[in-house]
Amino acid sequence: MREAVLRLRYRFWPDHLLGEILSKRWTETAIPVIVLLIVAVAFTRAIPGFLSPASLADTARQAAEIGFVVLGMALVIVVGGIDLSVGSIFALTDFCALFCLDVLELPVPAVVVITIAFGALLGAVNGFLIGYLRLRAFITTLITLIIYRSAYDLLLFDYSNTIAAAFPDTPLWNFMGGGDILGVPSVAVLYGIVAIFGHVFMTRLRPGWHITAIGGSRRSAYNSGIPVRATIARCYAASGALTAVGALFFAARLGTVGGDVGVGLEVTVLTAAVLGGISLGGGRGSVARALVGTLIVLLITNGLTTLSVRGGVNRMVLAGILLVAATIDIRWLKNRNRIIAKVYVSPTFHEMPRLQPVGVGSNVPFVQNDRLSGVSLIGLGRIEAPEDVILDRHDNLYAGSRHGDIIRFFPPDYEKMEVYAHIGGQPLGMAFDRSDNLYVCIGGMGLYRITPDRKVEKATDETNRSLRSVNDDSRLRLADDLDIADDGRIFFSEATVRYEMHEWPVDGLEARGNGRIVCYDPRNGTTRTVLRGLKFPNGICVERGSQSILFAETWGCCVKRYWFDGPKTGQVEMVMENLPGFPDNINLASDGNYWLAMVGMRSPALDLAWRMPGFRRRMAKRVPIDEWLFPNINTGCVLRFNSKGEVLETYWDLAGVNHPMITSMREHKGYLYLGGIQNNRIGRLKLDGADPGFVQYDRRWGKGT
Amino acid sequence: MIATLKAFGDRVLGRGDAAITVPIFDGALKPNQLLAGAETVGQFEDANDIATDGKTLLVVDGGRILSMGDGGSTEIARFDRSVTALCALPRGGIAIALAGEEVRIVGGPEDGRRWVDAGGAPFHAANAICCASDGGLAVTDGSRRYEWAHWTHDLMDRGWSGRVVFLDPRTGAARVGVAGLEYAFGACASGADTLVSESWRHRLLAIGPGDQRRVVLDRLPVYPSRIVAAAGGGFWLTAFAARTQLVEFVLRENAFRRRMMKEIAPEHWIAPRLRSGESFLEPMQGAHLRTMGVLKPWAPPRSYGLVIRLSPQGTPLYSLHSRVDGVNHGIVAAAEFAGFLYLLAKGPGRLLRLALAGIEQELAA
Repeated sequence: MREAVLRLRYRFWPDHLLGEILSKRWTETAIPVIVLLIVAVAFTRAIPGFLSPASLADTARQAAEIGFVVLGMALVIVVGGIDLSVGSIFALTDFCALFCLDVLELPVPAVVVITIAFGALLGAVNGFLIGYLRLRAFITTLITLIIYRSAYDLLLFDYSNTIAAAFPDTPLWNFMGGGDILGVPSVAVLYGIVAIFGHVFMTRLRPGWHITAIGGSRRSAYNSGIPVRATIARCYAASGALTAVGALFFAARLGTVGGDVGVGLEVTVLTAAVLGGISLGGGRGSVARALVGTLIVLLITNGLTTLSVRGGVNRMVLAGILLVAATIDIRWLKNRNRIIAKVYVSPTFHEMPRLQPVGVGSNVPFVQNDRLSGVSLIGLGRIEAPEDVILDRHDNLYAGSRHGDIIRFFPPDYEKMEVYAHIGGQPLGMAFDRSDNLYVCIGGMGLYRITPDRKVEKATDETNRSLRSVNDDSRLRLADDLDIADDGRIFFSEATVRYEMHEWPVDGLEARGNGRIVCYDPRNGTTRTVLRGLKFPNGICVERGSQSILFAETWGCCVKRYWFDGPKTGQVEMVMENLPGFPDNINLASDGNYWLAMVGMRSPALDLAWRMPGFRRRMAKRVPIDEWLFPNINTGCVLRFNSKGEVLETYWDLAGVNHPMITSMREHKGYLYLGGIQNNRIGRLKLDGADPGFVQYDRRWGKGT
Repeated sequence: MIATLKAFGDRVLGRGDAAITVPIFDGALKPNQLLAGAETVGQFEDANDIATDGKTLLVVDGGRILSMGDGGSTEIARFDRSVTALCALPRGGIAIALAGEEVRIVGGPEDGRRWVDAGGAPFHAANAICCASDGGLAVTDGSRRYEWAHWTHDLMDRGWSGRVVFLDPRTGAARVGVAGLEYAFGACASGADTLVSESWRHRLLAIGPGDQRRVVLDRLPVYPSRIVAAAGGGFWLTAFAARTQLVEFVLRENAFRRRMMKEIAPEHWIAPRLRSGESFLEPMQGAHLRTMGVLKPWAPPRSYGLVIRLSPQGTPLYSLHSRVDGVNHGIVAAAEFAGFLYLLAKGPGRLLRLALAGIEQELAA
């Protein structure tokens, strides 16, 4: 009963999504958005008409003005600095605009250009000091804050009356101050355009990437050739220019200069940036976050003002929020990876029928024997991790190695070896196509092809992204075995989409169907996923008749058939279930049946643990991986089975010393060649009664030597 | 209330009692391979204990007691039940435990004296006997719930019913010294005290004349077992299995443990064993993965071979190991005889021998 509840709970509750969602970058934006919604709802309930169209338009006007400044601040923070002088720059550029307009009586376009240039110049002073002279951003901008503010006060003393007395009446200036386009304030429209450009700039353009890179690690950015100093200086100049844009609209809207213009603006802007999720440490931030932060701060200040909270309290609330946001920022940044690592692994309920005994004396087809103890060894100590082995029609033996090579051994004694091709990733399953291209699945890289003249080519490394997956599963993470259909289509398995190759034990701990089968069509270069939700699929083998493939599910301990053509297209049927071990590669046998490698054997303790997801989850958190309960892959066997799934014979190595692990086998001219991913050898076994002329290539592609 | 909340918090966060940390083999316990290279002088089906009376080495093999000589062994006694503990008495004769349920004296002045209970409760898993300095006997009775051979059950059930019983061969009196131990396995006189191994708590206790307990050695990374005095002063402390984080974790996972005990054969439990690597049905841990044909000696030990040399004060001086890649595992008894240290590796059923002089030399090198 309890188990039934457990089964349902793990069947329908997607535990694995939490970790996947948290590891997304956009969760860091999502949290401020939620805060924004809460703030908006709270104030709407407290203040009637808080979000009415008129109020909204007014808010948008202010938001866009401050928003420009926040954009500038965000840029500077992302590049790894801070700009405290924005308030003073805001005041000075506000003065500049009104001075040009009212005193010099320049036309509006000229005013706009001069003001923005002036703002950029003020920012460039910061930029020069911080970027080129490498002064500390905090102290430098604090000083310019004071200097610019003093300058503003002096200028104000001389010209405030003149400016206050002037009433410029130009349509463009009025449009900037109070106009709208389709009901949207002019300033908000411009802000939207700048924000969209800013987003593209930061995420899609080279300078934007440079800025993020410098903020993430200045030294690494320098080492990789990014012009660090110039980029930093430009960011401060841009911050000044953006502040000037905000000030322009502020000047157009209010048309005044006063003692309090821009006072305390840096705190507001800083709060908005940090609250939006722009990390003070640098290197992390986006335009969307700047926008969200601006809106939160503005809603709070406007709301509190409407509620007649005194100015001091207003400021205090803002400062308090800044403190909290900065704390969360620091703590989250420090613990993010740990938290994700803890919640990412999400074991599920995995039940298998009772384990059948295979011990010596038990009367089952699997009964143990010692037929593999006589295996002779090839390349002992000279090859490492040959997951799969294959022979061509000239009797050459190919095997992968963990150094990223395909090694070729030469007949007749397979003593002499050479590096046939270097690929760079761990080669797993291999198959020859009709024109002698060697296709190889490379863990972590995808499907590769080695042409007969030893040229390495990428066949595919991505497939279509599935809509229901949170993780981007388009990139191939662990392609592990393949076979080729008559029409040239290549079917290959990907063991898991949630983990990298060296993390296979974690996938075994989860025992969820994280794997899939993918089809690559070399005729048009397309790659499509054809089957999903498989428990570590492996061992693809095209069946005779070539309308179906056999594949193994390692953690599912079963072999299944999938029809890719013919009347049953798309159907899957069980061929062998409840195997006593973990099936791996499947290959043709000379008598028309199939060989299956069992990479390991089930153990009762693991079977029980697979039915207790909570136990495994806690184990993953508390016990180091070296001490985890693993699938036992130290002992394995080879078996021959027919297309009905009946086991015909088995080959065991009881001592497990000569050839400890078997992940694949290949029959060739009366011998069976054995591969093992943790081995430093290839096994070779003389088969009794096997066809001494059998060459897999010839059988598959109908050619004679 | 607060304690309950704290215990709950510990369980959630894996702190305090819920922490599964195991001390590492360090200092005097630094691993070596001395035990792996020890000479095998005997092979037995069901050896349980060894002892010496100074003239000969006695070995218990199932129900037989053998005297080891130069040319082989001679049987000196035979019983219809397994002998589970053996002690040579200073005034002649031997004291034995039969199937853990009876303590009997054979030979010597008190020949034939027997005890089947103490303090109103029968012996259930008597597993070690030693001679106290006052001429009495101290017997450890491992568990009152599980019989002698089922010590794994007692561990996995978090047993705490072990006791130390003091017997007086002259009067036949029996007195329970301490009870409620988490598996008592091994005793040895140390002056007026009796040293006792409390296996599941990984510690060595000294029990004073007034039955007061004192912790001599705590937080061992192993499950300690029988203790014998060393000729040069001090003791040999055997350890029949080593702790692993996975077992510590399983001990805290009550639901899993109960189902494991109910549904799985004991030899395939996640539990310490005296020998391992015999069947692929045994649970495998990450580091057990044979890579390039090599099993790492530092892998978490399902079975382990260890004997620790203690000073007269009970401080570890050095230790002899047979690590995960070896076979001389499950050391349950030790005896010094004729310049050699004899050890009983119950895992492979071997009697091992190391020259005492050689040990010191090897360790000094």
